[in-house]
Amino acid sequence: MKISFVVPTRNNARTLAACLGSLRNQTHPDVEVLVIDNSSTDTTVAIGERFADQVVQWGPERSAQRNHGTKCSTGDVVVFIDSDMVLEPHIATEIEEQFTAHPEIGALIIPERSFGEGFLASCRQLEKSLYVGDAAVESPRAFRRELIEEIGGWDENLTAAEDWDLADRTKEKTELGRVAAYIWHDEGRIQLRATFAKKRYYGRWIDQYVSMHDDSNSKFTRTALVRKPGALLRHPVLTAGLVTLKATEAAGLLLGIRDSRTSSAGSRT
Amino acid sequence: MRILVLNWRDLAHPAAGGAEVYTEQVLRRWVAAGHEVTLFAAAVAGRPAVETIDGYRVIRAGSRFTVYREARRWWDRCGRGNFDVVIDETNTVPFMAHEWVDDGTRTVALVHQTCEEIWHHNAPPVVAHLGRLALEPRWLHRLAAAPVLAVSESTRDALARFGAQDVTVVPEGYEPPALTRPVVKEERPTVVFCGRMVSYKRPWDVLRAVAIARREIPDLQLWMIGGGPLLNKLRAARPAGVEFFGRVSEGVKHDLMARAHVHVSTSVREGWGLVVTEAAALGTPTIAYDVPGLRDSTLAAGGVVVPPSPDALARWLSDLLPTWQRRPFAPVPFGGAHSWDDVATQLLSAVDEHARAA
Repeated sequence: MKISFVVPTRNNARTLAACLGSLRNQTHPDVEVLVIDNSSTDTTVAIGERFADQVVQWGPERSAQRNHGTKCSTGDVVVFIDSDMVLEPHIATEIEEQFTAHPEIGALIIPERSFGEGFLASCRQLEKSLYVGDAAVESPRAFRRELIEEIGGWDENLTAAEDWDLADRTKEKTELGRVAAYIWHDEGRIQLRATFAKKRYYGRWIDQYVSMHDDSNSKFTRTALVRKPGALLRHPVLTAGLVTLKATEAAGLLLGIRDSRTSSAGSRT
Repeated sequence: MRILVLNWRDLAHPAAGGAEVYTEQVLRRWVAAGHEVTLFAAAVAGRPAVETIDGYRVIRAGSRFTVYREARRWWDRCGRGNFDVVIDETNTVPFMAHEWVDDGTRTVALVHQTCEEIWHHNAPPVVAHLGRLALEPRWLHRLAAAPVLAVSESTRDALARFGAQDVTVVPEGYEPPALTRPVVKEERPTVVFCGRMVSYKRPWDVLRAVAIARREIPDLQLWMIGGGPLLNKLRAARPAGVEFFGRVSEGVKHDLMARAHVHVSTSVREGWGLVVTEAAALGTPTIAYDVPGLRDSTLAAGGVVVPPSPDALARWLSDLLPTWQRRPFAPVPFGGAHSWDDVATQLLSAVDEHARAA
């Protein structure tokens, strides 16, 4: 079973070498790596050419890059990886094992843990550890080729929440499985101001996502955060930091949603 | 060409390290190619102020702190008008040759690594904060006006953060040791760490990672090679499956490194991380923390970089070690670096191309 990893990039030189290096060092013998770059101006392309089987230019956004990656890839399985992720060496092997053992499963979740520099990165690490195994938050990343082609890939009209959207459409068609090995997600140095700006940008797509899915409330409540109070009580300082981080994100999202409503109201009049 | 190299240490200095080996290897090849080379360095007890080594002239004056002023004085007395190019080899503190070479001679800086986080590991807290937040940024911003040669992509990126625009990456060199007899890998799964036992190399992380990985691979053993101030404390912790060798001869070191299945490196930062290159040349792959310098040497040597935490190192160790035990890792030519002949030629053409008069 050939495994294709599709990595969309845009100026990701800081983390890309570690990401692609971890894909090249999978213990599975038949792995293909594709970098779908969107006009990077740093050394992203040079790093890509060193490690990847194909480096392709495509745009305008992540969803379109990923769909183009599916089209260019030749594997039986397509796995979507971000450039700030580092994969444990057994992931490709476990993907093959799961798909071989369970023919009814069409897509697989790969659990994530985060790392980074500084206090807020540790808070994020605590948050991600609570999500492991939570179906409402985790999205599948590894797809059988037939399945991803059948459901039409990523929605190119969504730039945020596109992973939830794909997860919802996947669940309508097939069972989800999971592997045991982890993806390590590089959060870098988390800054509240940048987090706020990013969430405000993503917030603009939330209305559109909600209008496409009726049952989307579960995505925003993140009950996992309160379902395991023990983990939070054990780390009171991290919990306080996490509350600040989540409050900043929520404020950013709300403002983003308001931005999109005022601009659409403006365009209607 | 008449070349003047400024480096605060020469190979005779008791604290000489990788940068001095680099300088020595390159300079003797330049001399052999017909160039006239002078190296200016700090005084070394018991060594003459002027000496010829391998065909190049070494001038020694000043201490760790005064060598920078002495270099300038020497330039005023004897240097001016006698050279075609000046190379400011920066080992933490630049000589700022581009500011005081005033006779139209071209200059270029050669930077092995920036210090940054290492300040906190090597200096008392007050000095470390002063150095990291005030002194080093100031030095590097001044140096940024000069053309710079860097030995790794990581160093180039670091210099770019301090405003340097004209930075060129030059290759790192390595001469693989001649092994006297073929080496057979250990029976037991074996990890090797080789480096000084000082805090910025993070030897505690190695012990922690191996302790975690031993849950998956119970007979895993770890060889710790190298002396240093932390050695006794590490020994006193009596970790299971770990053997401390202390400082050993080059021959013993190479033998141990070649017999192990995997080499690990956990430094805070390196210029290049030559020990990774060394291990790869001996047929031992590396798992290293994803930090500047180690990233360059490890990926060039076909190794793996992992998130900088003992947990991650342990996960990768327990996944990859069995694979490498079954399927041996072929020695990498020059360990992923270049032959010194290559380095000397490429460095000289980079100097010639990028050096410019102030």
